[in-house]
Amino acid sequence: MDEKLTRQIRTALLLAFVFIVVGLLVYSRIMAYSLAPTMKPADFSKYAWYEIPFYYLLDYFSHGWICLLFAFVAAGLVYEFMPKQMINKYMGSSKVTGYALGAGFAPFFTVCSCTMVPLFTGILYTGAGIGPAITFLLMAPAANILTILMTGELISWEIALVRVIVSLVTAVVAGVVISKTPWGKAIEKEHQTGQNPSATQQTVEIVKLPLDDRLISALRFGAYLVKQILPYFLLGLVAVSYVSAYMPEEIVERYLTGTIGVLVASVIGGPLYTPTLVEVVLGRSLLQLGMSKAALLSWLMGQPYDVANALAVSRIVRWKVVLTYVLIAWACSVSFGLLYGVLTGSL
Amino acid sequence: MKTVKAKVFGPDPPCYRCTAVKENVQKVAEKLKNEGITVEIERANIASREVVKKYGVLFSPALAVNDAVKIMGRIPTEEEIERLIRAAE
Repeated sequence: MDEKLTRQIRTALLLAFVFIVVGLLVYSRIMAYSLAPTMKPADFSKYAWYEIPFYYLLDYFSHGWICLLFAFVAAGLVYEFMPKQMINKYMGSSKVTGYALGAGFAPFFTVCSCTMVPLFTGILYTGAGIGPAITFLLMAPAANILTILMTGELISWEIALVRVIVSLVTAVVAGVVISKTPWGKAIEKEHQTGQNPSATQQTVEIVKLPLDDRLISALRFGAYLVKQILPYFLLGLVAVSYVSAYMPEEIVERYLTGTIGVLVASVIGGPLYTPTLVEVVLGRSLLQLGMSKAALLSWLMGQPYDVANALAVSRIVRWKVVLTYVLIAWACSVSFGLLYGVLTGSL
Repeated sequence: MKTVKAKVFGPDPPCYRCTAVKENVQKVAEKLKNEGITVEIERANIASREVVKKYGVLFSPALAVNDAVKIMGRIPTEEEIERLIRAAE
């Protein structure tokens, strides 16, 4: 068989796979088939303690596999097919482009230190400065394609949309404020020598690949993300199943509703580091147990980024900047939680 | 006899995907040694200012052959690396 035909067949098969995955999601929508776990906290009481995680995972995966499959395939495809060279070219051109790229492209980057750290430093070094870099850093974990899809499918698309918007505002505010602080400026100065980076740059001649190889590369990246995220996700689900089963509703109702609820949720959302995506599932359980939607929003916003990234980043920008954006992010999480609660009457 | 410089870009500490690129390059280097092509493999920290300024790489893993960035944001296969190195002047 000649090479051209083999390539065509491979391309067709890969495209078919992608369409099937998309089709599954669309089909589940049309049939109104729930992709979220269906177990209610009360259902757990009939199981012994060691059976709880097993049944919860079974329930979760019997419904959630379509959503998970789609999310990982989409994440891989988006990362492979986004216009990397264009981003590379415009990144350093001006402050406004920097902010727009930092915030606008964050949804295409999935939480992974391989993609986050280089971009953060790239934005910082190539001319856009510390503001857009911080914007990107805060935006990426809050609004990447995996978390948007999971929040939308498991909680609600309204919350997912609100989460994206408020994260965007928070990220831009934090970026602008930090770029105005003396310590932010100091770091910016330290990292910029004033010359146009493109003048000294080496050639970038990216090799173009045929479509089938690109698709394979995209699916490989998706599989890599699965390998990185799924083990922690599973552990997280086990923990969530116990929270759902044993957390008394009175405690949730008392501490996770009203103004106190927003404050508590924003505070525990931060330091309580949960693996990627687990915050969505845990948020859903707490919502079922009686947490208010306002508190849920604060909780989702309070999620920190990858610890590995934070460490790498703090080595570059130092603790004053880290502290500033943590405070801004926290303040925004409280204010937007309260605002959302007041506006929708769900405090 | 020719010498080709291959530079692998990645964050420090190295992430899994960048290590995979380096391993592929090493395998190719082993193979090409018999044909008289020496591949000098270097690692560059993508979080360093000098590297970003010089190469303008924003997506890791990346690979430069003789100081020209050829691959960005994905893991190239061994065959592809071999082609790139053979094509390098």
